[in-house]
Amino acid sequence: MGVLVGPRVIDAGASLLSVLISPVAVAAGYPSPAQDYFDGRIDLNEHLIKDVTSTYVVRVSGDSMTGAGISDGDELIVNRALEPVDGSVVVAVLDGELTIKRLRITGTGVVLQAENPAYPDIRVPSLSDLVVWGVVTRCLHHL
Amino acid sequence: MRQLPQIAHVDVNCFYASAERAFNPALEGRPVIVLSNNDGCAVTRSPEAKALGIAMGEPWFKLAPRAKEWGLVALSSNYELYGDISARVMELLGRYSAWLEVYSIDEAFLGVKGTPDELLALGRTMKTAVRRNVGVPVCVGIGPTKTISKLANKWAKNNSAFSGVCHWDSVPAAEREGLMRRLSVIEVWGVATRLTKRLNALGIHSVLDLSRADPVMIRDRFSVVMMRTVLELQGTPCIPMEEERIGRDQLIFSRSFATPITTADGIRQVMSVYGQQASARLARHGLQAKVLTAFAGTSYFNPKDTSYPSVSVTLPMPTADPVILTKAAYALLPRIVEGIRYARAGIMVTDLRLSGNQAPLALFENPHEERHLGSLLEDVIRRYGRGFIGLGHAGIRSGPEWTMKRDMLSPRYTTHWDELPLVKAA
Repeated sequence: MGVLVGPRVIDAGASLLSVLISPVAVAAGYPSPAQDYFDGRIDLNEHLIKDVTSTYVVRVSGDSMTGAGISDGDELIVNRALEPVDGSVVVAVLDGELTIKRLRITGTGVVLQAENPAYPDIRVPSLSDLVVWGVVTRCLHHL
Repeated sequence: MRQLPQIAHVDVNCFYASAERAFNPALEGRPVIVLSNNDGCAVTRSPEAKALGIAMGEPWFKLAPRAKEWGLVALSSNYELYGDISARVMELLGRYSAWLEVYSIDEAFLGVKGTPDELLALGRTMKTAVRRNVGVPVCVGIGPTKTISKLANKWAKNNSAFSGVCHWDSVPAAEREGLMRRLSVIEVWGVATRLTKRLNALGIHSVLDLSRADPVMIRDRFSVVMMRTVLELQGTPCIPMEEERIGRDQLIFSRSFATPITTADGIRQVMSVYGQQASARLARHGLQAKVLTAFAGTSYFNPKDTSYPSVSVTLPMPTADPVILTKAAYALLPRIVEGIRYARAGIMVTDLRLSGNQAPLALFENPHEERHLGSLLEDVIRRYGRGFIGLGHAGIRSGPEWTMKRDMLSPRYTTHWDELPLVKAA
């Protein structure tokens, strides 16, 4: 639950609160047998966003990650607070652009791998030369 | 080991430009300016833009002809983006202290405690967390008073040896004195330009001079406010933390104005905006309020003409209706003294309850609520944007703002689904 203030009130808990209200109207007649079982709807924010301060949604442009199930136009959930590890799908800063690749950390170096044979891998001298913008946690794929 | 409470001052470096850079890394290292409403003049300058000699407030029409040659990037104010980034920063900072005062869109004071080593470590942790989680750079100043923590932050920003975090008491006394001797009094929080001349006339030029002045003499010659500043520089806290908190039992909408408001009509406009915001927020939370408090206040640093009017209105019944809330907030207007410079205002709704818990008696039924005006307004705003529609003064704003020009607007990356940042898969 956000507990702040100031110019704007943070309403991190808005979605949580909104589900506390039972949608079952109490009419004068026979009470709904379901009303005591209503615990709130599934809230995607709750399940897909671990930390509201560090989570951003971005949109994919291009098809170099199709092998990882990520297509052109898909939306991705990116958590900036996560530590990237070998195998993470990351948003990295390459030539002033946000670019999505799979991070490979091997004995011989760091590689940003495309998941489509049509695109080349990119070698990075070392992890410290790489600016990782965030780690992708989910892909919202359009069917 | 000293365990006295201390105050950390955290602010985002070049806030607007940094927020833009977080989503557009191509702006890194380039001169960037953000323009005021209507793309009028530069209100934020990246260090590279400052290095070009671009002054604060310089009109865009003068800069535009040379922008290309300089490689200068000018952007319209993206308030949606800045508001969201600010909220993220403040929420994150709130995790490090139960005592947080949001001072403006890009700066906050936090009450902190610990040994000097712990405080330095805390400052570095906050700096790293904001940079990493949210994506914008901050500097941190920590000291025994608000005034000193602001000073420490200034030092942290301008002296790379600190790596962006300065704990005042950890700096050797001789070094602190050296800094205070080099800094002009005008650099002190709350010392207005017009007072500088009068201070100089008394032989007070540097921050060190002011910190060594006799507080009683300062009070007699200036004001109790200036005396507080002197005491704060000497390490005695005199400017209290403003504690604002949101529980489920209250919502507060308040802010400091960029330029003071001096008329009841100006405050009426602020109340209209907040009344509508409160209505929207309550509706989103499925809440209704029974009590509304409206307030305004002059600056801490305005010793003459202080005025802190406030009024509490008990509503006829719990409501989230924008018309009723706004009307209730107008109860403040008769208490506004025309000509006084109000630096902040706000409203607070309390005694909140879940809406729809009880059917209102027909006698108290409210025609606006029946028409679902609040949700209608929100629907229109969601579809067409804030400022498209509104009640009274919150809606049709006077000319320039209504037709606000934002020709160089970057995408509203974090608040609009159609404008998400693009990541290249190539």
